[in-house]
Amino acid sequence: MINSKSYRFWTLLLISSLAVTTTQCDKDDKKTKQELITRVVVHLTGTAGSTFDKEFEAIDSDGDGVFNSIDPIVIPAGTVFNCDLHVYDDTKNPVEDVTKEIEKDNKEHLFVFKSFNSGLTISNLNTDDDGAPFGLTSIWTTTSAGVGTVQVTLIHEPSDKNATDPGGETDFDVSFGVTIQ
Amino acid sequence: MLNSKAALVVFCSLCFLGLQAQDCHFALRGHVTELDNNEPLAYASVWIGEIQKSTLTDEKGYFEFSNLCEKTPYTVEIRHVECAHFTQIVALSENTLLEFHLPHNTILNEIVIIEKATPPPPTQAVETVEKADLDAAKGINLGETLKKLPGVSLLSSGSTVAKPVIQGLHSNRIALVNDGVLLQSQQWGSDHAPEIDPFSSETVKVVKGAAGLRYGVGAMAGAVVLEPAPLRTDKGLGGWLSVGGFSNGAAGVLSGSVDWRPRNTAFAMRLQSTAKRSGNLRAPDYWLGNTGALEADFSAILEWKKPRIQQQISGSQFNQTYGILRAAHTGSLTDLRLAIDSDVPRNNLDEFSYRIDRPRQKVQHNVLKYKALFRLSDIWKADFQYNFQYNKRQEFDRGRSSVIAHNKPQITFELWTNTLDFSLEHQPWRHWQGSVGVQGFQQLNYVSRGGFIPDYQSLGGSIWVTERYRRYPMPWEFEWGLRYDYRWSHVTTEGNLRDLDQNLAFGSISGNVGALYRINPNFTARLNTGYAWRPPHVNELFARGVHQGAGTYEQGNPLLEAEKAWNSNLTLNYDADQWQAQVSVYRNAVSNFIYLNQPRDSVVLTIRGPFPAYFYEQDDAVLRGVDASLSAQLWGPLWAEGRFSTLYGQRILSSEKGGERFDWLPLMPIDRYQYGLKWQFLSATKTRAASFVRINAQTSLRQWRIPKEGLTKAAPNTFTTLALDAAHTLLLRKSSLELGFQVQNLFNVKYREYLDFFRLYADSPGVNVGVRAKWIF
Repeated sequence: MINSKSYRFWTLLLISSLAVTTTQCDKDDKKTKQELITRVVVHLTGTAGSTFDKEFEAIDSDGDGVFNSIDPIVIPAGTVFNCDLHVYDDTKNPVEDVTKEIEKDNKEHLFVFKSFNSGLTISNLNTDDDGAPFGLTSIWTTTSAGVGTVQVTLIHEPSDKNATDPGGETDFDVSFGVTIQ
Repeated sequence: MLNSKAALVVFCSLCFLGLQAQDCHFALRGHVTELDNNEPLAYASVWIGEIQKSTLTDEKGYFEFSNLCEKTPYTVEIRHVECAHFTQIVALSENTLLEFHLPHNTILNEIVIIEKATPPPPTQAVETVEKADLDAAKGINLGETLKKLPGVSLLSSGSTVAKPVIQGLHSNRIALVNDGVLLQSQQWGSDHAPEIDPFSSETVKVVKGAAGLRYGVGAMAGAVVLEPAPLRTDKGLGGWLSVGGFSNGAAGVLSGSVDWRPRNTAFAMRLQSTAKRSGNLRAPDYWLGNTGALEADFSAILEWKKPRIQQQISGSQFNQTYGILRAAHTGSLTDLRLAIDSDVPRNNLDEFSYRIDRPRQKVQHNVLKYKALFRLSDIWKADFQYNFQYNKRQEFDRGRSSVIAHNKPQITFELWTNTLDFSLEHQPWRHWQGSVGVQGFQQLNYVSRGGFIPDYQSLGGSIWVTERYRRYPMPWEFEWGLRYDYRWSHVTTEGNLRDLDQNLAFGSISGNVGALYRINPNFTARLNTGYAWRPPHVNELFARGVHQGAGTYEQGNPLLEAEKAWNSNLTLNYDADQWQAQVSVYRNAVSNFIYLNQPRDSVVLTIRGPFPAYFYEQDDAVLRGVDASLSAQLWGPLWAEGRFSTLYGQRILSSEKGGERFDWLPLMPIDRYQYGLKWQFLSATKTRAASFVRINAQTSLRQWRIPKEGLTKAAPNTFTTLALDAAHTLLLRKSSLELGFQVQNLFNVKYREYLDFFRLYADSPGVNVGVRAKWIF
């Protein structure tokens, strides 16, 4: 039965199959930027005569959001260290240095340190452009030998940087085992 | 209105002044035949307006109404396919058998109105949303239109995102059917609400029980079925325009629909559109920051109706952007603990705004449908339908400025589906009426890099048959149905740091057996038992990683098998003038029930800190419950209404000592009572809906049926909220204006719902005053 009715039907079928094929093949512009942190590096450099210079890493090697290895931090007692934090996304090629972006957005970020090792104190967090705490660099002071952990957290968009609960969302939260020798 | 040639009108108006008390035990038997050839007209629908009752003629064209009063005029209306409808006024002085001869319509110059033959009543429990409830809630969202029905709850992520739960099951276990099209979207997501505009529908029903036979794979607990109004039959333009506003969220909604039949021909069309905007909602003590929403939808229907063939092309698009409560967007367990222990929501922007920031979701759903109905002969009818759906869902999360600078979403889900349906239906042959059909299915799912679920391509086929036995004057009706579905999928991920390339195939039979028994004209009993199934979805098999919106780490289980459910329900329905009641008892035994389980305090240490770890598991489960509703006329225009539902959902675990151990299923609906009074000062007529004022209370009990490992946060206490609503229709010269007023949570009660994921973070919205006006022209 070829008449105007079936014309409409076949045209519609053709249009919809075109719609199907073109939209189904159009995958390229969907690449959205993935915000991954796969490596956190704590770089400790000794001051005042100490030649200590080591990096301790927490690594998520397969990008599934779970740390596969966390280096134990082994540091000498009675020393003052400069601490520099670095953050990387290894899923990108070349490896993306997320630290630079965090530094650019320093007002929206806050590094929080909690020491559970009685021999370790962390202080002198550097400030952001507004003078509020930021923490990309800090001073780590060790006194006596002992074992404990230190928790390093990156908070994104805290509601109050100076409060005990700064609010915001945790971008990473990693606990390193600290052995002070 | 045509007058019968054989006019047997016995109209005795003087008899009204009779001195005796009226005798109401008379029966009217009728015999309906075609005027031209005296062929009996089977399954013609017969309606008597004065008693608001209808029936169908049997195979030989006979019908009967009993308990009619003597000497009272009754307007008998008869409708049948291919005959114009026929009205005659009848009054009885004795038991009478009347002959009705219906002329067959000539088709050259007149519009032939092919009435939908009245479908036989289902043997399953079906709840229809009352027009008053539907009109009041259309401006909010689909979930709101359903939540008052007993046995239906809402699973929500905040107030804006609500999905229907039928007798404890939801998402992939129920079917959402909009104008004959089964919704294909990312419905596995607990924070993905159905992409349906309720304004495009006139009726909304919930079918409870195994609906897999009709709606295919997955409809294990039932279906939500939405139907648009039939297109205008008269020549010309007609339609409606609706405007509404709600105080909570300062929301506004505008919707309209226009039907056009250019000449008295077979062609008619409809254009319909809805636009909505709402800002932050308000809980009794604070604003819920970032809970605004924006929506724009439109739909079109083109229809050609000829006596032998009806064709319809329709299309629709649903667009919605909605904010997700910032306070609900937690990171790790540490953040979660802080949020749960906090009285006020953390990170909450406590102010009103229409702005929709991150985190937010944007979804678009497109449907294109072609449908054709062929009347092959007096007995056979063929039905063909093709539909194409494209669903695109984008999730925008908070992130570093470099990520959000280009306004790109963190994740995009795209789903393309093509479905082809063909069925043959036959009119009663030896008292059996039924249909047989086949379905072809193709689906492609693409998730951008960073996919929480993998990509897949699916192909499927189904074949089904259903038959119904009806024999007048037997009070029994039986039906049975059988269906086989096959699904094959090719699942892959690309670009992520894990590799997946797998083929899956699932196939199963499903079916239904049901019976309906008319105990007396007012009292019906229905029994239905059905078997339905569902293959595991890709998120249950392969999900891995942090589920951003939910603040959980989820891991799929690739060894999961298909779920199979035996769902039985018994429904008693009493329908009289002064009271109506319905009670439904059900038992749904689901083997291999898939659910997310958090083994005692299991936590995954992710980069963002510890997250509660949920694993997809499979156990046998049994869900049992009772749904009841009652409506009783207390005095004159005053009615009392009540509804009740309860559900006991358990999973069966084999214990170490052997034997079985039961535990409660997580996230099962609470027990709920609804009760209220309605003052209906004007009943509904053909031209006008009822006018009424109504006050309703709803008591939601604290859920005590908690899984042994406990809950992250204790279940909310029992609470009661009050709602007030009223409606009235003004009849204008050539149109009508329906006005509505409603107040939800009248006393601004502070509460949280058990099935609301956001109950961990914030209260539910407080008082909401809504007004609406619908101009029908």
